[in-house]
Amino acid sequence: MSAPLIKVDDLSIAYASEEGPVQALRHATLEARAGEAIGIVGESGCGKSTLASALITLLARNARVTSGGVQFGGRDILSISEEEKRKLRGRHIAMIFQDPMTSFNPVLTIGEQLVDFQGQREGLSKAEKRQQAAAMLKRVGIADPGRCLDRYVAELSGGMRQRAAIAAALLMAPDVLVADEPTTALDVTMEAQIIHLLRELRRDYNGAIVIVTHHLGVVGELCDRVYVMYAGEVVEEGSTDDVYHRPRHPYTRALIACDPANLHEQTPLLPTIPGRLPDLVSPPSGCSFAARCPQASELCRSMAPPYVEVGPRHAARCHEALA
Amino acid sequence: MSALYEVNNVTLDLAGPAASGLQRLLPGNAPRLTILSGLSLTIGHGEMLGLVGESGSGKSTLARAMMGLIDITDGRLSFQNRTLESRADFIRVRQGAALMFQDAVASLSPRRKVGAQLVEPFQINGVPLPEGGKTAMTMLERVGLPPSLAQRYPHELSGGQARRVSVARALALQPKLVIADEPTAGLDVSVQAEILNLMTGLRRDMGLSFLIITHNLAVVRHVTDRVAVLYLGRMVEWGPTREVFARPRHPYTQSLVAAEPQADPRKRRADLALKGEIPSVLARPTGCEFHTRCPLARPRCAAEEPRPRMITPDHMVRCHFAEDTKTETQGGNHGTELEH
Repeated sequence: MSAPLIKVDDLSIAYASEEGPVQALRHATLEARAGEAIGIVGESGCGKSTLASALITLLARNARVTSGGVQFGGRDILSISEEEKRKLRGRHIAMIFQDPMTSFNPVLTIGEQLVDFQGQREGLSKAEKRQQAAAMLKRVGIADPGRCLDRYVAELSGGMRQRAAIAAALLMAPDVLVADEPTTALDVTMEAQIIHLLRELRRDYNGAIVIVTHHLGVVGELCDRVYVMYAGEVVEEGSTDDVYHRPRHPYTRALIACDPANLHEQTPLLPTIPGRLPDLVSPPSGCSFAARCPQASELCRSMAPPYVEVGPRHAARCHEALA
Repeated sequence: MSALYEVNNVTLDLAGPAASGLQRLLPGNAPRLTILSGLSLTIGHGEMLGLVGESGSGKSTLARAMMGLIDITDGRLSFQNRTLESRADFIRVRQGAALMFQDAVASLSPRRKVGAQLVEPFQINGVPLPEGGKTAMTMLERVGLPPSLAQRYPHELSGGQARRVSVARALALQPKLVIADEPTAGLDVSVQAEILNLMTGLRRDMGLSFLIITHNLAVVRHVTDRVAVLYLGRMVEWGPTREVFARPRHPYTQSLVAAEPQADPRKRRADLALKGEIPSVLARPTGCEFHTRCPLARPRCAAEEPRPRMITPDHMVRCHFAEDTKTETQGGNHGTELEH
């Protein structure tokens, strides 16, 4: 098996706040190999967006790396200079943002922006760059790329915008493509089309794809492997099939259970996860899910659980993972 | 079950973009855009009705028309067996029915505390506060929020809390009907389940009726009794939720059901159920509106408008070939022969 293309190693990130540092990400470890699509899934506040911004070296100003780093191309890309990070972004690691309406500039045409994005590409004239942009728009399924290039983002429909955003991210043929909630803003039919497109693009894309989402359906449709996050920690990782069919962490089980798409019988009362996320200024010393876990014991509340390997490339952060 | 709210053959036209300035003053046929066309539906007492369709299908416009926030062109709306005609009628509707807006945070004023906004429905309608200074606290308790939240500003609320506040506000005047526009959009699955459970609980305890507007089919499947499917302002299918999901008869409903992403990787779909985008109301297709994207379309569909057909006494389908569409939904793609 190939070596990981990008690797997050024991990464912890804290945000400065009035109450003290918020430990948004704690000892997260993750890897993505070439040709692989991985999913990062979890609910609001689980740290998935922090992890995504670390992958593309776009951490907020008040964020501080307190342990570990992100290994890419043989170095820790969180500790290199701003100038070097800039060279990395777009060219080697690109991102598809959740809301293409705000990730494009509203006063420049799509064409102007897609030409600009190729700024780092040497030896191409502006006309050639425009041609490249048109070819990429065609590839993402925009029927009339020439016309699309001359349009402003507000003139495109939601689905077209997301296609244009995917084209923008793929323009420089990046090694790693990070997609943050790529279908959240879309209808179910448009969502299916974008999922279909991403799956099709995978066929001749040799990089790694990282999908960050709260939607298990998107992961199920697109990803080979999945990382489940809770309260700043990766609580389970494994192949999508293993995690969905043989979840070993109680949080993963609860998350799958409360998605109404997974309930086959109609029920008036949907399962929930009672309780709240722990305060990340002072995270619990034991398991961070213990307060909401139906199986929690005294051990869970007092001692942080180990990350237990439960199968090949399948692990869960739980005292009971092997039980 | 007698109807609480009845929408009868409602059509809603807007002036087309060409009809601006002086053109509006000219007599004759100003271009009109049909937003809703011949819509009929009823909401019974204590019923939960789902309204689904893609963006641009007219779901929110129907909700606004039902509350009198936008005028209908033709047809009849009636609430509690009284036809709604004048402004005064709609003021009565707004006391007996409440609208929960799509964006819960944006529907609250950023400058006023939650408590002050909770009692606004009473002030606007000149109703004395039922429990004086404690009204806001009682309202918060009813939706499962701590009373201390009354002192907060909307930006200090989480998405789920803001949604609960909008439920509390909708319930202020003890309405009979709550129209909820995308009540769970943007929420995490566990919070989404909490909001839906809150709504079903209120229905059980207070006998409330709900109209739930959403494009999340999983939500509709679990909480509603009946479901109406809208496409480009026209109802294409309408019937008991269980039956519509088990045996959708309109090709559009079938595609919607088939488009739902599956969390189970073993159920991944190889093909695309529905290609293209919903057409613009500026270029409404002739005949059946759905024929441009329909995998089963035949020449007749482009020429002739389908009439509503009752497949069973309470299941309506608007399709020429409703009898032939009995296939199960996980059919995959049959669109290839129609591409060109």
